[in-house]
Amino acid sequence: MAGRAEIMPARSRVAIHGLEFLLGLSVVAGLWYLASAAVANKTLVPSPLMVLHAWVDLLRSDLPADVLASLVHLGIGYGLGIAAGLALAMLSMRFGAVEAIVDPLVEVLRPLSAIAWIPLAILMFGVSQRVPVFLIFYAAVFPIFVNTIAGVKQVDRQLVRAAEMLGASRRTIVMHVVIPASLPYVLAGARLSLGVAWMAMVAAELTGADSGLGWRLFWYQEFFAMDKVMAVILTIGVLGYLFDTLLRRLQARITRWSPDSAALDS
Amino acid sequence: MRPLAQRQWLPLLFFPALLAAWEALVRAVGQTALVPYPTGVLQALARTIGDGTLVAATASSLLRVLLGFAIGAALGIPLGMLMGRVQRIHRAIGPIIDSLRSVAPIAWIPMALLWLGIRGNAALFIVAYAAFFPFVVSAVQGARLIDRNLVDAARALGARQALMLRSVVLPSALPAILTGARIAMAFAWGSIIAAELAMGIKVNAGGSAAVGLGQLMVNTLYVRRDVNGLVLYMIVIGIISLAIDLAMRRLQRGLTPWRPI
Repeated sequence: MAGRAEIMPARSRVAIHGLEFLLGLSVVAGLWYLASAAVANKTLVPSPLMVLHAWVDLLRSDLPADVLASLVHLGIGYGLGIAAGLALAMLSMRFGAVEAIVDPLVEVLRPLSAIAWIPLAILMFGVSQRVPVFLIFYAAVFPIFVNTIAGVKQVDRQLVRAAEMLGASRRTIVMHVVIPASLPYVLAGARLSLGVAWMAMVAAELTGADSGLGWRLFWYQEFFAMDKVMAVILTIGVLGYLFDTLLRRLQARITRWSPDSAALDS
Repeated sequence: MRPLAQRQWLPLLFFPALLAAWEALVRAVGQTALVPYPTGVLQALARTIGDGTLVAATASSLLRVLLGFAIGAALGIPLGMLMGRVQRIHRAIGPIIDSLRSVAPIAWIPMALLWLGIRGNAALFIVAYAAFFPFVVSAVQGARLIDRNLVDAARALGARQALMLRSVVLPSALPAILTGARIAMAFAWGSIIAAELAMGIKVNAGGSAAVGLGQLMVNTLYVRRDVNGLVLYMIVIGIISLAIDLAMRRLQRGLTPWRPI
């Protein structure tokens, strides 16, 4: 069996893999349909068809605005988080005094998940967009910071010394040796950051915001429109999956040359 | 060497000084009701330990985390091993699993509340959901790490299924699964707090129905309006995260001593 798969032309292999996925999808959808038929309560377990219908409905009404609101939260929070994480990492590596302060601070704050900040964030900002933005920022800062430092620390000293010996300036060494060599780690950190930021976003919107996908969940729940709740849940999943795939592709493309990129891709 | 000395002394001087300055500033400005300050947090600690709420809520949250963790392991490890061994199944349901994994567990809270009610089982569902996926992912990796030669050798020597499982499959897959368990546990702890916060904020739990740390925080935020209490609970949550990670690392070292972490 395995031998036959090896010699099969690539195109028909793709077709078979596609068929296998369609089969899996229909089995899962079928089980879901059976469950909804068995429960026979469209509030408790809406059938896949109802959810699909609700989803098409929402696409024409609320969903685009909710997705946009969530993306704005994510864009601002994640952008600030990545920028701050990178800046802090670079400053700590350049200046010992910064490292002496930032390092213990990070070690103290890192175990404290973004979720635990929700009540204090609500108190500080009120129920508003600023709660998810703050939480996304907080969640995104640590993975990128930690990975950037790890990435720079693992840069081969020999390469730096070789460049120094050949008369490269500090600037050239940073630009042409340190940054390329640490890039796979930085990108892996950016992907980790996005994963936790996505979770923090949903939790913050659910509890402390008045817009976005997470907020919509309870909005529909108050009308017991569970088919719409399910449609929003699935939208959250598909969008999260798309973002992760996008970053993974980007990571693979940018660091194609690096043996680290395969090892860090998990 | 100067940098080393600086590195040791600076935080030791800086952080106590910062806390003292913070306390003095809050008292000087007279905003003790709005801004948390160190001695206020200590007072909150003494009060919540005194009336037993802190310990009870922490125990209630932790218990649900352990239960959800066990459910996630019981469902996730077999599915992951299956997906890791049979490529077809992996291709068929891999993308579905990945999409469901990308749903923040907390997004299920409206459905979970409907299915399981507010008495804590909704939070249990969220925790189990959160713990499930790290187990699946790590079990897939673990199953792939099993050396075919070892399996063939064991089979040639006449090993039955049970022996095969115990002495070949498990030891090969265990390191990866334990790494997954560590992630699952951290994830579960974050999710229980999120679930309890959402339940506390969005649903009137009607008094004493299964109160965990999250509900206690909501109560402190909206009813007591006690900032020091909030900061105290955040510190407790952080310390428990650290303790959980430490315990899981120790477990990993104990169960797979042949493997560096």
